[in-house]
Amino acid sequence: MIHLDKVGKIFGSSTKQVEALRNIDLQVNKGEFIVIRGPSGSGKTTLLLSIGGMLQPSSGVVNIENRDIYLLSEFERTKFRAFNIGFVFQMFYLIPYLNVLENIMLSAGLGSNGTRQRKASELAEKLGISDRILHKPSELSAGERQRVALARALIHRPKIILADEPTGNLDPDNSQEVIKILKEYHQTGGTIIFVTHGKDADQYADHIFYLNKGEIT
Amino acid sequence: MLIKLIYKEIVHRKLNAILSLLAVTFAVAFFVSFFTANEASKRETIRLTRDMGFNLRIIPGETDMNKFWTEGYSDLTMPEDYINRFWEFKDFSFAHLTATLHKKIVWNNKEVVLTGIAPEIEPTGKKKTAMIFSIEPGTVYVGYELAKDMQIRQEDSINIFNRYFTVNKTLSETGSIDDIRIYGALSEFQDLIGFKGKINEIMALNCLCVSPGENDPLEILREQLDQVLPEAKVIMNTTIANARERQRHMLEKYFALVTTFVIIVIAVWIGALAMMNARERQKEIGILRAIGHNGREIAGLFIGKAMIIGIVSAVLGYAIGTILALKFGPGIFKITAGSIKPIYSILIWSIIAAPVFSAFAAFLPTLVAILKDPAVTLRKE
Repeated sequence: MIHLDKVGKIFGSSTKQVEALRNIDLQVNKGEFIVIRGPSGSGKTTLLLSIGGMLQPSSGVVNIENRDIYLLSEFERTKFRAFNIGFVFQMFYLIPYLNVLENIMLSAGLGSNGTRQRKASELAEKLGISDRILHKPSELSAGERQRVALARALIHRPKIILADEPTGNLDPDNSQEVIKILKEYHQTGGTIIFVTHGKDADQYADHIFYLNKGEIT
Repeated sequence: MLIKLIYKEIVHRKLNAILSLLAVTFAVAFFVSFFTANEASKRETIRLTRDMGFNLRIIPGETDMNKFWTEGYSDLTMPEDYINRFWEFKDFSFAHLTATLHKKIVWNNKEVVLTGIAPEIEPTGKKKTAMIFSIEPGTVYVGYELAKDMQIRQEDSINIFNRYFTVNKTLSETGSIDDIRIYGALSEFQDLIGFKGKINEIMALNCLCVSPGENDPLEILREQLDQVLPEAKVIMNTTIANARERQRHMLEKYFALVTTFVIIVIAVWIGALAMMNARERQKEIGILRAIGHNGREIAGLFIGKAMIIGIVSAVLGYAIGTILALKFGPGIFKITAGSIKPIYSILIWSIIAAPVFSAFAAFLPTLVAILKDPAVTLRKE
């Protein structure tokens, strides 16, 4: 489903370059739960954003469902992301001026406003935040914020979830809650790439890869 | 959804929105107050410059110019109805046409000039406010020096060639031959001095619509007069004409300069605020891109916000500008204060122009924000 072929990413100018990714080869099959573990600065987020069509690699190919996503136009890639990929970040990145329901509904790739609202309410109920739907992100705990971010990522039933240290800012209970939600998604056939520097998701992983200094070891 | 997002963001980042609103409101209020008071300004300028006198004199073509300048008027006459020929012409450079008859006489052992004045006429389609006083039959206006010397006062009855006239007004000092002039109704003075149906001058004001660098205005006037009244010739008082022309062009240039300055300052102001807003929202842009919103939709958030601010500012600016013009305009333009009125068409133009201007000013910062790689803001490394 996801195939990375010698993906490299270099940041910076010609005089001062940082090689964030080096010749990454990665194969992820449909329905797999993949954990990529590595220390801070190892290139985990860069790799995840490259897979998600957000960051064009300097070299190599990112194929998703037999399509080189970087051969798509920016518009087509955004549309592809809207229907196929859900992102979850450590920092949640909720829109501060929207309430929980509106943040969940914000995802593109959804139907009418009524459909969005119905799906968002259902998901909020399922993730245990239905009593908070009219609250702003600033009024929520970290665990609740991450559940909102998860709901936003899951609402359009994407084929792939790219989770960038989603438990990094959470206490152990909330971390387990988030992983449990992702596991449930995985059990319904979803594909997950979970990057982390800890071992909290190892028990659910089909495969674990280690990323160090931009290389998978 | 877009409008809701814009509205919520505006409410969330009030300061940015208020500063943007103030900028556009200020610009709109500036233009609205200017245009609302402009009619009074234009009229006041016309009034002030016209007080310098008519700048065109149309006299019989055969007039001996030596005599004309010595006496101050033509010793030849032309039929009064010549003036009516101007009625039929449109796009004409002449305005405020007045048929006059001048004659120097000796009255009470003093040399005075009798001037008969007919009501003003305007060429077709050029209705304007009268520039000279209208004289009722049986009444006269007496020049300053004459009134002072002979102790003539308003409402006095004076006898000229055995006809009695009531002095409607004694005039202010002009420092010219007008100070020894007696103005009366043309028809009465024609009878009085035996020139029935005759005039010896048509006084006129040139609109001076010809810009510097174009054809010589006097040449144009003469060409036009040749078509209407080939029997006459036109003399232009270039001092007055140039003063009027310079005044008009100076005002136009001044307004253009101030307008350019205001537009640039406000555009930079809005642009800077939009840039700040976009920088503050980099992560928001990043996440919107990540969850599948394209650049056009995200640009819509910024440009839409700018346009909404523009519309609200247009209404506010119109109200403030109009109030300012109505409150302070009459103090500046004392003579023509009555012409300062709300101009409702400006509201429509403001509602069209302000959002467009606001959107243009916000466009570049928005473009920069959208083109910035969203991944940069979402990466932690």
